[in-house]
Amino acid sequence: MQELPLIPGFLARYIERWAVKRLPDTDYQATIVRQRLYILPTRQGLLFTTVLGTILLGAINYENSLTYMLCFLFASIGFLGMIYTHQNLNHLRLGAASAKAVFAGQAAQFPLSISSVKQHSHYNIRIQCKATDAICAHLEDTETESLLMLPVTTKRRGYIQLGRIKIYTEFPFGLFHAWCWVELNAQAVVYPEPDAHPPQYTHGGRQHGHQMTQQEGYDDFAGIRKYRKGDAPNHLAWKAIARTGDLQTKQFYAEAADEIWLDWHQLADDMDVEKRLSVLCRWILDADKQGIKFGLIIPGKNISPGTGRQHRHVCLKALALFGIEA
Amino acid sequence: MTRFDYIAKDPVSWVILSLALVLMPHAPRLPAWTLFVIPLLFLWRLAAIKKPQRLPRKWLLFIIVILSSFAMLVHYGTLFGKTAGTAILAVLLAVKLLESRKRRDYMLLIALSFFIIVTNFLFSQDIPTLAFMLITVVILVMSLIYINQESAPLKLRQRFKMSLTIVLQALPMMLVMFILFPRISGPLWQLPDDAHTARSGLSDTMSPGNIAQLINSNDIAFRVKFENQQPSQNQLYWRAHVLWYFDGRSWEQGKLNPNPDPVLETFNAPVEYTVTLEPHFKKWLFALDMPGEAPVKSHYNNNYLLRADKKITSLYQYQATSFLNYRAGNILSPWEESAGLKLPVHQNPRTVALGRQWRKQFNQPVDIVAHALKQFNQQNYVYTLRPPLTPGHDSVDQFLFNTRRGFCEHYAGSFAVLMRAAGIPTRIILGYQGGAFNPLNDVLTVRQSDAHAWTEVWLENQGWVRIDPTAAIAPSRIEQNLNAALPKNETRPLHMHLDMGVLKQLRFYWELMDNNWNQWVIAYDPELQQEFLSSLLNKKINFADIVYLLVFTLTIVTLAIAVMILKPFQRTTSDPTQLAYEQFCRKLARSGICREPCEGPVDFSLRAMQAHPQQKDSIKLISRIYINLRFRSSNNKKQLEKLRHLIRKLKL
Repeated sequence: MQELPLIPGFLARYIERWAVKRLPDTDYQATIVRQRLYILPTRQGLLFTTVLGTILLGAINYENSLTYMLCFLFASIGFLGMIYTHQNLNHLRLGAASAKAVFAGQAAQFPLSISSVKQHSHYNIRIQCKATDAICAHLEDTETESLLMLPVTTKRRGYIQLGRIKIYTEFPFGLFHAWCWVELNAQAVVYPEPDAHPPQYTHGGRQHGHQMTQQEGYDDFAGIRKYRKGDAPNHLAWKAIARTGDLQTKQFYAEAADEIWLDWHQLADDMDVEKRLSVLCRWILDADKQGIKFGLIIPGKNISPGTGRQHRHVCLKALALFGIEA
Repeated sequence: MTRFDYIAKDPVSWVILSLALVLMPHAPRLPAWTLFVIPLLFLWRLAAIKKPQRLPRKWLLFIIVILSSFAMLVHYGTLFGKTAGTAILAVLLAVKLLESRKRRDYMLLIALSFFIIVTNFLFSQDIPTLAFMLITVVILVMSLIYINQESAPLKLRQRFKMSLTIVLQALPMMLVMFILFPRISGPLWQLPDDAHTARSGLSDTMSPGNIAQLINSNDIAFRVKFENQQPSQNQLYWRAHVLWYFDGRSWEQGKLNPNPDPVLETFNAPVEYTVTLEPHFKKWLFALDMPGEAPVKSHYNNNYLLRADKKITSLYQYQATSFLNYRAGNILSPWEESAGLKLPVHQNPRTVALGRQWRKQFNQPVDIVAHALKQFNQQNYVYTLRPPLTPGHDSVDQFLFNTRRGFCEHYAGSFAVLMRAAGIPTRIILGYQGGAFNPLNDVLTVRQSDAHAWTEVWLENQGWVRIDPTAAIAPSRIEQNLNAALPKNETRPLHMHLDMGVLKQLRFYWELMDNNWNQWVIAYDPELQQEFLSSLLNKKINFADIVYLLVFTLTIVTLAIAVMILKPFQRTTSDPTQLAYEQFCRKLARSGICREPCEGPVDFSLRAMQAHPQQKDSIKLISRIYINLRFRSSNNKKQLEKLRHLIRKLKL
């Protein structure tokens, strides 16, 4: 997380712990209020103050009235900068929605909406979640809402919570750093990372159901049958359709076997859990890519064969949450 | 995107613009080569916007810094002090610009620009300088905003408006601090030698040409406000120096007059006046012939001159009294007699011979004086700003007998030589004569161009008597001013041309403002602050009071401005329909029917109608219009008016 300006790390962590205790219950949206908005001078603010001090010394030393005057003008401008920076962050309302599922290692993109409770402009609002780069948002007073995507890096499969994010701004002068911690209730499913070098899929591990008759592969053409609802559109046999006028679907060998089962128990016994999930994940992706009807068997869960995005998601989610959901 | 857009979009362009603006007023004071080098460095940085590889390497910058520091050292003899200091700072900023790529660097440059702005005030504190600096501050703030907005959603106009708003909002706080920040009398430590560079002004010696030089300067020497009566123009002889010693060419003060006590007999009430002296970085105080007593923090010397205890380094005010009718130094001390008659030997023989001849010719010294003045008046002497040169030892001879064209210093000088040769103790007085009254505030402004030289001769029973030979040749110089006295065909300095008609009137207004500016702003020092605040609160004020006052007033002003910006009482919505409906809800709430947070307008109206059956219809209507406006057509003025009207009329 972005360090606080001019504050050593251990103190910043202490401050954060203290501030987090003051956060309200997590909701899908949060409004920034004065009570939880913090502001500190930046390094540049300190530099500016040093210059002001030098000017004041000069004014005293040279007994120069206009130098006094401009010194006070600059001080007032700097002070107003603080108010403006505070104002720039205050009264913002943030809302978050759940992000689309991603594979572990990819960044989950959480949709955020920013709106102003008091309908004035907010510029250079930066939002940051954990170690990712901050994203920048602007809200003109004519706009009611601004939508953006907050990337959150993922490491492990399972659910990822958006959790605590830091919203900060240094606009307009960069002399002050105003920030606020917000906890938003939004989550995303993180699938296991697909294994890069999975073992070859072999049929036969399956002890029940249909026995596969063909071993050649999934791509060999087996014939044409009548179209059934749910068949992949890229498997339509256009020539046959043109000839007969009825919808026809091409059939392949693997498919001719109707379906395959991706089975946990098929894999070597000494393989660890995460590796198994990775391999299964890769198999699901491959099968889905080739339009093969597949089912999934993992301990405690048995998903009957199917195709399509929804089916793929159900299977991958089952992998993602394996051993996590009670 | 055109090339220009590309340049204008880069924050460094704004930094360069800001730097150029803050350095511009310094340009006339900088060494000529910097006026070439600094813009060159600026252009270099601009050229590198598109191709950062064009930026110079570190070692090259280092060489530039070393070379320019050396050049500064040669030019100024030092790297410190305000002139050399700002010059070297200007070059360093330009060099720093060439290695600036990040926001951090730009912020440093902008912060230093704020510093450069105030260094301008070390050289000039007038209103135009301040006005220019305020404009510069607005642009600096715009640059600051530009640097800190990363993806640039603010347009130029928005940034200008924001910057101007902030500067205007800062003014009240600035004013409070300016008035109430406890002033400390400086300096805190020894200032560099050039802290106060003198502008051209009166010198304490007189050689041909050095007063005529001042005539071109329109700078103000001092301003005077008379308490009761204003003396007439020909009485305005502002005494500054008494010169005893003549070396054949120039007049100097010579040794200190050891005469113990200046004796002054007075014959009428004194003239009282307040002088506001522009800083001239000398101890001299100017007073009308003859000053009565020394003002505070100054002393009276035995040449009837006033001298301050400290150098006048900032605008300085003093109260003085003068007696216009007087007899000074009735008894001539032996030192004065010998110093007042001394002439360099073997110089100006013709003049000396003429003086000696007059001594034989006339019995009374008074007659000699009268005769000499008559000679000046009648023998074709011309009063001019551009006299021919009179080189060599016998300059007085050349002037009196050949060229006959001269300025006040020629007439005063040659008259003094004549008188000394005739045996009359004489001394030269340097100072100012006249000044211009501003009819708007009755303040007399005396400028450098009013510089003048005259003489004092010592006469039995009369003491030191003022004789102004210039008055014999060009009486209008004394009765009116220099402009009136100069021959018609002579070219005049620019400021004299401007001094007529509407321009003259405008000038009076400008001077009035300038005078107030000087009196109240520039001269605002610890004493004036104390005096002003004491008169404001009608009680004696000390340091602690000023601090309390500052904290108190600043808190109030700051809070007021913060409220103005933060608008904590502002409603959270600006939708007029919603506002009207909220009023309706408040009305019902007063009668005991509160809308629950999750209650929709329909359910709420049903509950309200139950509670107020006699108002059933209007509650129903209000709710229906509200729902229509809010959820169907949001922009129906007529319906909105009707809604407001119904809500106003609703009686529960």
